Formats: sequence, C-alpha cells, structure tokens
Amino acid sequence: MSILIDKNTQVLVQGITGKEGTKATKAMLDYHTNVVCGVTPNKGGQEVEGKPVFNSIKEAKEKFSGVNVSAIYVPPFAAKAAILEAIENNIPLINIIVERIPIADTAYCLAAAKEKNIKIIGPSSLGLIAPGVGRIGVVGGPLVEEIFIPGPIGIISRSGGMTNELSWQIRQAGLGQSTAIHVGGDLLMGMTYADILRLFEKDDQTKGVVIFGEHGGSFEFEIVDLIKNKGYTKPLAIYVGGKFTNVFPEGINIGHAGAIVGRGQSAAEKESALSAVGVKIAERYEDLANLAKLF
Amino acid sequence: MNLYEFEGKNLFAKHGIATPKGVVVWRGDDFKIKYEELGVKEVVVKAQVLSGKRGKNNGIKFCGEANEVAAACEELFANNFHGQYVEAVLIEEKLNITEEHYLSITYDTNAKQPVLIYSASGGMDIEDVAEDKITKKLLDVRNGSIEDRLFANNLWQCFLQEDARVVEINPLVKDKNGQWWAADAKIALDEDAFYRHKEWENLAPRTMLGRLPTEREAAVKKIDEGEGYYRGTAGKYIEMDGDIAVLFSGGGASIANMDALIKTGLRPANYTEYSGNPPREKVYQLAKIVLSKPGLKGLWIAGGVANFTNIAETFNGITDALDEIKPAFPIVVRRAGPHEEDGMRLMQECAQRNNLNIKLFGKETSMSATAQILAEMV
Repeated sequence: MSILIDKNTQVLVQGITGKEGTKATKAMLDYHTNVVCGVTPNKGGQEVEGKPVFNSIKEAKEKFSGVNVSAIYVPPFAAKAAILEAIENNIPLINIIVERIPIADTAYCLAAAKEKNIKIIGPSSLGLIAPGVGRIGVVGGPLVEEIFIPGPIGIISRSGGMTNELSWQIRQAGLGQSTAIHVGGDLLMGMTYADILRLFEKDDQTKGVVIFGEHGGSFEFEIVDLIKNKGYTKPLAIYVGGKFTNVFPEGINIGHAGAIVGRGQSAAEKESALSAVGVKIAERYEDLANLAKLF
Repeated sequence: MNLYEFEGKNLFAKHGIATPKGVVVWRGDDFKIKYEELGVKEVVVKAQVLSGKRGKNNGIKFCGEANEVAAACEELFANNFHGQYVEAVLIEEKLNITEEHYLSITYDTNAKQPVLIYSASGGMDIEDVAEDKITKKLLDVRNGSIEDRLFANNLWQCFLQEDARVVEINPLVKDKNGQWWAADAKIALDEDAFYRHKEWENLAPRTMLGRLPTEREAAVKKIDEGEGYYRGTAGKYIEMDGDIAVLFSGGGASIANMDALIKTGLRPANYTEYSGNPPREKVYQLAKIVLSKPGLKGLWIAGGVANFTNIAETFNGITDALDEIKPAFPIVVRRAGPHEEDGMRLMQECAQRNNLNIKLFGKETSMSATAQILAEMV
C-alpha cells in the first residue's frame, strides 16, 4: 500500500487551463492517475487533455462527486481564494503547488483547513508519487520510469529537486520507493515530517523512511517527540543540509523560503537531537541510500 | 526583508504605538542643525544596522549637546559594527526609563499560526530570558483584532496589515510618568507579499550580510523582477570571499552542494541557485554575473535529477555566457533530467569551440562526488 494516494484517488486540478496546470494534468494522466476534471473561473465548458473544465469546484462536484484530491496551480495572488474554495467544498486532501504565497495567506488557509480536518501538502510542493500507483503533480517528470519503482522506502523532502534526486539514489542502491512526498520549503507547511511519518508507520509496504531536511524551522524536533512517544517506530535516516550557513548572520534566508538562519535551528543542532533518539544521520545526501540498505 | 529601526518605528507610529521623538540623519547631513531642530536636550544616538548587538558593540551613545551629538554621529558613520554597515543614525529623545519589557509577534511554525510573546524582562535577547518569565499566546490570523493591552492590538494590526514575518518591541519601556514607549523596533517583512505593498519599492536596497549589496548582488536581484516573477527564478546570488564560482539548480540541491564544496576544502565565490524551469535569458544573465567576479579558479555547475526543468533550455543560457567569457579555469558539470542529452551535447560543443577545461557528469555520479573531482582539477 501507498500513503495519501491509491487506486480510488480522483484528482481535480485548480488552474487546469494555465500552462503549469495543463502540463501537470498530462503528467498525472501519463502516470495512470485518475484526473477527472479541472476548474478555472470563467473557462467552464472547455476541455484540457480530454477532461472537462468547470467554473467552480461546486459545479465540478455536481458531476464528479468522488473528487478527493485537489492539486492547485494558480498564481500566488490567487492562491488564498483557490485554497479556501477547496476547503469550503470539503476536498479532504489539497496539494498546493503554488510558490511564493504570502505567509499570512498560508496561515489563514491552514487555520481553515485544520477546523475541517483537511490535509494540506505544501505550499511550494511539487506533489507526491506512489510508484506504480499514481502521482499528484509532476514528481519524476518525463523520466519517472527511470527513477521510480515500487519498493519499501518512504521518502520525505523539503526540496522538489531533491525528492527526485534522492529517489534516484534509492533506486541506484537497488531499492524502490513506497511513496515520495515533497512537503515544500516554505516557512509554514501543511503536513510536516511528523504528520507523514505517522502515515508511513501504518503503511505495511514501508519498511523505513529517508528524509532530506534543511536548516531553519524546527519541524525536525517534532520527529524527536514523535519517536519518544512511539508514534513512529520504523528505521529512519535523515540528511540536514545547510551546515555552511553558520557563517551567516541570524535572520538571513539561504535556500528555500523557510530556510532562515536562526538560533537553535541549525543543521548541526537538529542532527544531534535526532541522533539522540536513534535516527541515522547522513553526512552526504547520497549516504541516505546506503543507510536505507541497512533498514 | 528586515527593516532598520527607524523604518520599523515609522510603521509602529502608523499603527498607534508610541515612539520617542526623533530624527534620522544620513551621511553628509549637518548633524548639529538636525539635533537643534529636534529641540530635545538629552538624546540617544543610535547606529541603524540590520542585525547585531548594537548596545554591546558601542553602537548607541548618550549625548546632551550639539558638538557631542555631531561627534557621535561622525564616529558611528565611520565605524562598522561587527561588519554591519551603518545606513543612517537615529537621534532620539532619551527616555526616563523605569521598566523594560518585551513584546513581539512572529510565526510559530510548529503551531502553524502567529504567536504573541511577552515578558516583563525586556532589554535582552528573548532567547536569553528564562522560560518561566515568558508568556506565549497563539493567535488566529483570521481574527482582525486581539485584546488591547500594552500595544498588543496595535502590534497585531502592524503584523497583519504590513505583511510582517516578525514584529518586535524590545525594550517596551515605561517612563517615570507611567507612559509606555517602543524604545526599539525590529520588523521583518514577508517579501512574497510585495505585490500588495507598492510602498516597499521606496525601501533602500539592503542585505542581511551587514554590508551594502555588491554590484553583482544588485544586478542579480533585478533578473526576477517583473510580471512573471513566480515563473522560474534565477535571482539568488550572495557574494562570498572564495574563488570557486557556483551555479546550482534547486534550493535543496544548492545547500547540500555548498556543504559538499566546503568539505572538499574549496571556497565558494558565491551562493547561487536557479530553479523552477527558468527561461534561457534569465539563466544567461545569472551565469554572466556569476562569472564576472574577478580571481575565479573554478566553476561548479550542479543540480539533481530535475523533475521538469528543461536541461537544454537552462544550459543554453549557461553556454551563452561561457561563449562570451571563455573561462580558462576548470569547470565541472553534474546534471540530469528532461532533455539531458541535448543539454550535455550543448555543453560539449561549447567546450570544444572555446577550448574549455570541462568535465561532464550525469546522474550515475552523485553531486557531492563531482565536488571532489573539481577539487582535484583546481
């Protein structure tokens, strides 16, 4: 079994008529994912990749009541309204692909989603993939068959490029992936490492998980608590990038939006806290594949 | 983007938070006249820097007459505070302080919502205050107002309306008449909200590095400006003091590669990253600026297995720059992803026609391993 996506997944694409939305729709369909329709205000009645376009999610759901995932491809200034529309229409999993959403807008949407128990992945997420099952977004791109193969390793990454690179290292080590998720690199994110580890814990296919983490933020410390409370008991290995940033002053942003240099949040501090609860630490990102072989 | 104290105080004043009477002076101003116009005898003269501990580093001076003020301003402008460039100096009425408190609002990333932080022990870094002396209250960003105590609601208005990431009053002081003032101001704005804040265009360019942005940094910043700002970015460049130029693809790969480069003993000339499938023209401009730094001894072009970035398109931008500059130093490339064969062929042809000392690698070799190869070539 995979997490977050399965054979019952029915995807709606918000912003389907835009360049990125159209490209993603094709990428998902090419990887056997059931994209059923899309939404772009004032463009109802058109078709994209043979899928109908509606003016609103409400209209779309009258025809496709089984929609259970929305992938959002709209410009950053239209993101808040689009996410809130998906929340109002009770779509249980929302993957926000949009980059550079103002933080206050993200906070607003996360608060609204939490009240309804709606899962959000992102913002600034490329999506997720369960090899052999399907993908939301464009993870793997056109080379998806070269990189992904079903297997026992769960993958979580703050970086879209590194989701793919790490999945490749796992493949090269003779292993396969259960599900690979790009959680996004923003200051605030919907599902965190800990949220996803809870799902991997319950997933029979997943024997262990590897994470690509970054300096800044304190999401890694949630993992420490989760392991202490036995909420996650499988093997785990992590790489935390950004050790070089200790030469920069506090408050400066290096890398993704959430990668802000701050006291108590450096790569080294995260590694020592994780190591203390038995998480394996990778010196270089590709070492994650060697550590995964020992799971 | 972080604001200088005087800019932060302007925003505080706009939202009804009392700030001491003051005047900002710049290089070349007549400091005595500015002081006399202020009409206050006892003043605090404060260097305007973006980070660093001013108090501990002599960045704050107390004065009582014009010659003293002028001398203090001259001295502050002449010095760097732990490498911090002094943009301006703030001359401000000295308060008769009886208490120093702390008040801030920032995002609690684990709770995924803003948090109001208060302590009666202000005047020092909040990280240095004992936990039991700090109160924290999570706020719902959907609430237009909060309980009005000690400027808390004013600060909330400032946080929301100005699209701030951090607003901090430290110290929040009580004077001998019982009146409360923001004696300092620290604000970080959320740059992704720039499209709804035209007024931010008037803020002077700056970096958190404690110096003025270099010419190259300023030029790179312009690459991503304009309508399609969110479609493929190529506007990240921090100038560093090493001699190995880098062109990385992707935020995550860029930080992993910086760590790997430093581990080999090489020293980066810059930190640079492009991502999200930027067009050839943006990559060309970026590469040209990266290669313009004098004294380079090597170039490392590295990225992971791309999901959707077109390797041929982005490499076209890089080869355009290499064709112009024809560097004599060694170059190592590691990249894979859509159109990788075309991209590598473009790079190979460019190397041949310009006689470049270049080594090309695909996904069979890890990024970190190619840093070691560059180290052996340099």
